[in-house]
Amino acid sequence: MNLATATTTVPAVAHAPIDTAGLTERISIRGLNFYYGDHRALKDITLPLYASQVTAFIGPSGCGKSTLLRILNRMYDLYPNQRAEGHVTLDGEDILSPKQDVNLLRARIGMVFQKPTPFPMSIYENIAFGIRLYEKLSRHELDERVESALRRAALWDEVKDKLGANGLSLSGGQQQRLCIARTVAVRPEVILFDEPCSALDPISTAKIEELIDALKAEYTIVIVTHNMQQAARVSDFTAFMYLGELIEFDTTSKMFTAPGDRRTQDYITGRFG
Amino acid sequence: MQPAGRRDVVDLALQGGAAAAGEAASRSKALARLQFGDAAFRHLTRAAAFGVLVILGGVMVALVLGSLPALRQFGFGFLTSQRWNPVTENFGALAPIYGTLVTSAIAMLIAVPIGILIAVFLTELCPQWLRRPVGIAIELLAGIPSIIYGIWGLFIFAPFLQETVQPFLISVFGEVPVLSSLFAGPPYGIGMLTAGLILAIMVLPFITSISRDVFEAVPPVLKEAAYGVGCTTWEVVRHVVLPYTRVGVIGGVMLGLGRALGETMAVTFVIGNAHKVSASLLAPGTTISSAIANEFTEAVGDLYTSSLIALGLILFVITFIVLAAARYMLLRINRRIG
Repeated sequence: MNLATATTTVPAVAHAPIDTAGLTERISIRGLNFYYGDHRALKDITLPLYASQVTAFIGPSGCGKSTLLRILNRMYDLYPNQRAEGHVTLDGEDILSPKQDVNLLRARIGMVFQKPTPFPMSIYENIAFGIRLYEKLSRHELDERVESALRRAALWDEVKDKLGANGLSLSGGQQQRLCIARTVAVRPEVILFDEPCSALDPISTAKIEELIDALKAEYTIVIVTHNMQQAARVSDFTAFMYLGELIEFDTTSKMFTAPGDRRTQDYITGRFG
Repeated sequence: MQPAGRRDVVDLALQGGAAAAGEAASRSKALARLQFGDAAFRHLTRAAAFGVLVILGGVMVALVLGSLPALRQFGFGFLTSQRWNPVTENFGALAPIYGTLVTSAIAMLIAVPIGILIAVFLTELCPQWLRRPVGIAIELLAGIPSIIYGIWGLFIFAPFLQETVQPFLISVFGEVPVLSSLFAGPPYGIGMLTAGLILAIMVLPFITSISRDVFEAVPPVLKEAAYGVGCTTWEVVRHVVLPYTRVGVIGGVMLGLGRALGETMAVTFVIGNAHKVSASLLAPGTTISSAIANEFTEAVGDLYTSSLIALGLILFVITFIVLAAARYMLLRINRRIG
């Protein structure tokens, strides 16, 4: 490992000028630090997340990419001794502000987890549950919303005859698509994917990647992944993180063809991590 | 260095003829020794398991044999009669059965919601520094011997109820149609309500600590997912944590119910020990276990003793039915989920 020397010779963040024409910055992260107790897990992260684009966070385990993701919907709030400092805004609104309604925020910023997490209820209820929290719909409208969410997640044809079955009775890949449908049904503005395919077989993975591609027209999408090919396939922008720092952020095509930082190159080509 | 076992096998393969045969013999001898130990262990565990069955069977047989004279004398009427007259040797079990069921019902009615609320508070809402003290306090509550609940109930709790709570209940519900009969009569202090309340305090720690344990076993990511669609804590508990842990919570409730049905000492102190079925919860009554505890010393006649043993048999059957019902419920829930 030649990282120690690399750190001293290369500037901390190699922000290449990005052609931002036609892009809207939906989420802005400015000077973000995050602490688990005394441990500083994120160091001065500054990063834009663009609307209708897929941004991938890559980096070795423990580099802070999931931590960064969990700040965006304030999931860290559930645990004691974790705090974030700095500025994160969603359409100009401060996410980190104590006055922020976290339930509303989490409805606006949906999240799909590493492991499928269907709720202990029927397939239909899994989707309808989140919708009912914020909207009062007639039975008919609710049925339509559930169907459209399931169609969106490419799951409708597989489950339309057994909507009353328990969500846990589905296969792993179906469960994950159910979770995506559930997230989409609430009509969020941003969707966070935390290694959504790490527990899935290649066919399910391909389905979910197609799904992400289809969803990006309407949503701002962030995906954490350990799979370089996946990042290259699905994302428009890539952020490489290492030891709590953002090393490099650029368009995916640039990152994977001509990275500006040696550490990025080493990681992408599999020399470490 | 290879693992020892592996090398033995390799050596065995390499060595030819006599040497191998010798080694194989010594190995099979070692194996035979192990086999003996294995067999001994297997029989030991089986004996322990069968021991339980033998004891259970023995208890059942003893109860049935002991209660035969009473059951033969009174027949089915033993279950429906509330007479309990040692002088004329005329016995009926209705009052103790009624008292047992009513006090346990009161206890569960109070302890189940409170216990679940405490567990939800401890796992979802409680600040970290308060978790341990409250958790330990609840476990200590479970460790208090029942005789202490008994004297506390008789000397402190019952007078308190007599002076404040019971007059209040009588005055509030005195005019309400159905409830007036539940809270009728003079405030004795001791009675079925008091026993039920004491039982509630006693079973509360069981329900709380089991609920807390199963709530803590909910995968954090499942809760995060629920928070992730914008749920409040209440919604997460109501729609995710409780359905997910239903089986465990029911188990805890049944354990508490088992304790409430069989609890003897504390109840004997505060229930008033009257073989009487009365609609009013304020009236004194008796339970199966407290009747047995109170009267076994004075039971001189064979029929009297036999009647007490028959009470024991009935308690045994009630407990068995409760357990079986719980099992059946869990089975149905599991089948629906699976």
